[in-house]
Amino acid sequence: MKKTATEGSEKSQLQKGVYGDNWQQEAKEIVSGASGGFLFGIPLLYTMEVWFIGSYVQPEILLSILGITSIIILLLNRIEGFRTKESKTLSGAIAETIETLAIGMTCALIMLVILQRLDWQTPLPEILGKVVFEGVPFSLGVAFSRSLLSGEEATDSPTGDRESSPSDDRSLSLRDTLADLSATLIGALFVAFSIAPTDEIAVLAASASPPWLLIIMVASLLISYGIVFAADLTDFDRRRQQQGFFQSPQTETIISYLVSLIAGMLMLWFFQQITFSDPWFIWLRYGIILALPASIGGAAGRLAV
Amino acid sequence: MNEPRKTNLRQSLAEKVSFLISLSIVTAIVVLIGYTWVTGDTAPPTLSVTTGANIREAERQYYVPFTVSNVGGSTAESVEIIARLLSSDGNLETGSQQINFLSRQEKRNGEFVFTHDPQQGELTIRVASYKSP
Repeated sequence: MKKTATEGSEKSQLQKGVYGDNWQQEAKEIVSGASGGFLFGIPLLYTMEVWFIGSYVQPEILLSILGITSIIILLLNRIEGFRTKESKTLSGAIAETIETLAIGMTCALIMLVILQRLDWQTPLPEILGKVVFEGVPFSLGVAFSRSLLSGEEATDSPTGDRESSPSDDRSLSLRDTLADLSATLIGALFVAFSIAPTDEIAVLAASASPPWLLIIMVASLLISYGIVFAADLTDFDRRRQQQGFFQSPQTETIISYLVSLIAGMLMLWFFQQITFSDPWFIWLRYGIILALPASIGGAAGRLAV
Repeated sequence: MNEPRKTNLRQSLAEKVSFLISLSIVTAIVVLIGYTWVTGDTAPPTLSVTTGANIREAERQYYVPFTVSNVGGSTAESVEIIARLLSSDGNLETGSQQINFLSRQEKRNGEFVFTHDPQQGELTIRVASYKSP
């Protein structure tokens, strides 16, 4: 359902602001909420200690953590929230809180499975512990998603300077491409630099077989595509005026994934996690593991351009 | 937006469906946590280790698979497993392994590596220690 909504997004974005019985609008809001969740939740997903807490925490503590998180998200939803409509009544905010938690926990569950922290052999209490502990930052990210993804500071700059005569098009397109590339790099550095020197990369890489690496790659592409797509939702008009190779969301996603992958490998080399004497598949394996947070950061970084 | 009272009602089918799915996800999580709370016992961990039958040999080393499991109530941290092989010629080989966390009902696998054939000697594999998280 999500995928078809994504494909049809181009047309429906033209009718921005039309609400009602609209599946696409609903899917867009959920995708943009989930994108915020990934942006905020990924750094904690790459933290072993959080997995460990999930392994031993008692059910009564889990319930109280869920309760406290719900109250925080409820308060956030009174002023913010992932939906474009404001929740003015308490019941509306409660409903939005339940949706926020559900999106956050589902995203956390999916990521834990993709990173092989959960499998069929994991006992139920441990699954719940990990999903709740990782789900909390994801849910907070969902609640923050609109301010995380709108790139509001950038919108202050007058959009008029983007307009140009046709003769300027080539230099402008090159300039926009370079700006997008550097924004991707900055965003990738911002999120992945603090993850690169940690042991989690080696731990995750050790358990990732080639098919899982492919799954991680696909997940990286889908999530960064989701963020780009969410950006189009929050800031469609401004971004359409931008030119360059990054104009189509599909091309943008793939190029920026490659940039993030290379940037991730360089960060790992910088911190001596991998060296030139290591075989190529170690570079690729470690690179793909770090490219997941890097590409998410990169996609978010481009929103600030 | 021009009907302030109605904006917060779940009027569209899409919103209703996503709310119902969300509600069932959150309810399922809460119910499952409640279930583990009710059924969970606070008994200390009961750790056991079993050796697999299929010992393999590669490059003159013998790999002995083991499975450590926790059938007790609570999680054990830093579970230490020790293996001793006393071969027929009196040679003693030891190995140890540590498992970070072993939850209730959890099983973890690994292998001990010896240079002498374990089938020709006396092999003991046991859980030596753990700590409470």
